[in-house]
Amino acid sequence: MSDLERMDLSALDPARDPEHWSRLTETTRLRIEASLESRRGTPKVLDILAAWHRPILAAAAVLALAFGLADAAISARGGALDGASGARRLAALSDNSLGRGLRPTGTELMIALKARSAR
Amino acid sequence: MDETDAELVHSVRRGDRRAAGRLLQRYLRACRAVALAVTGVEADADDVCQDAFVVAVERIDDCRDPAKFGKWLLQIVRNRARNLLRSDSGRRQVSLSDTTPAGDPSPATRVERTELRERLLGALAQIPEQHREVILLHDLEGWKHREIAERLGLPEGTVRSHLHHARRRLRRILEDGGTLDE
Repeated sequence: MSDLERMDLSALDPARDPEHWSRLTETTRLRIEASLESRRGTPKVLDILAAWHRPILAAAAVLALAFGLADAAISARGGALDGASGARRLAALSDNSLGRGLRPTGTELMIALKARSAR
Repeated sequence: MDETDAELVHSVRRGDRRAAGRLLQRYLRACRAVALAVTGVEADADDVCQDAFVVAVERIDDCRDPAKFGKWLLQIVRNRARNLLRSDSGRRQVSLSDTTPAGDPSPATRVERTELRERLLGALAQIPEQHREVILLHDLEGWKHREIAERLGLPEGTVRSHLHHARRRLRRILEDGGTLDE
């Protein structure tokens, strides 16, 4: 097959009007840059997960602190209950001793208190 | 040394404006040629090539083989041009004289050039779309057979054959005053 001579299609050359072509190229370039800019502003899945990392850690720290405080409060309340029962045991010991016309001895008081701290 | 399409595509994915500019410089004229081959109207070809390029950058992550960016881009151009033909056929009647460059030397020359463009576009309209793409990319844009083959997804021999037939038919149409009965 013989290769015919190249045809002159320069009448269809977009650059025959340099101003128009330059304007079209520039407009396209600006639109592409705007697209790239918005692309930078659109986070991907990994970026979103990474962004969650810090708030999740912060929330976990707050929860841990809240749980710690609640635990301490419950423990403190439990200690007060221990103290109340110890007092009841001391009162019962005193009542029992006085009922028999005796004073509770130091040893009996110590046994009652040790019984409280052992709980 | 020029960066490859694949390198430029990877850079664009990282938001590199300069790489996007290089691809624009490399392909905008070819996009326009393919758009013109499909629409046959210069003003539409300008709009399509611009929109298609912006869409390509927006969807650059969808380009599965960055080494074949050119082929992928030209397919976007082709699709958008065909959509335009389907949706906006009335607008295709815009006169070519509307796009006459303002800087032409005289009204007579402008008319002459406009007539020449109309004759060429009229002749191109009478050959198959793929032949139009090949001849515009080769004889207007100066692409090599191999480049056209790669970017249109055709065997190189087919490109040569299309080019040969396109030239022969265009010449006959133009010699016969703009029509060819076959």
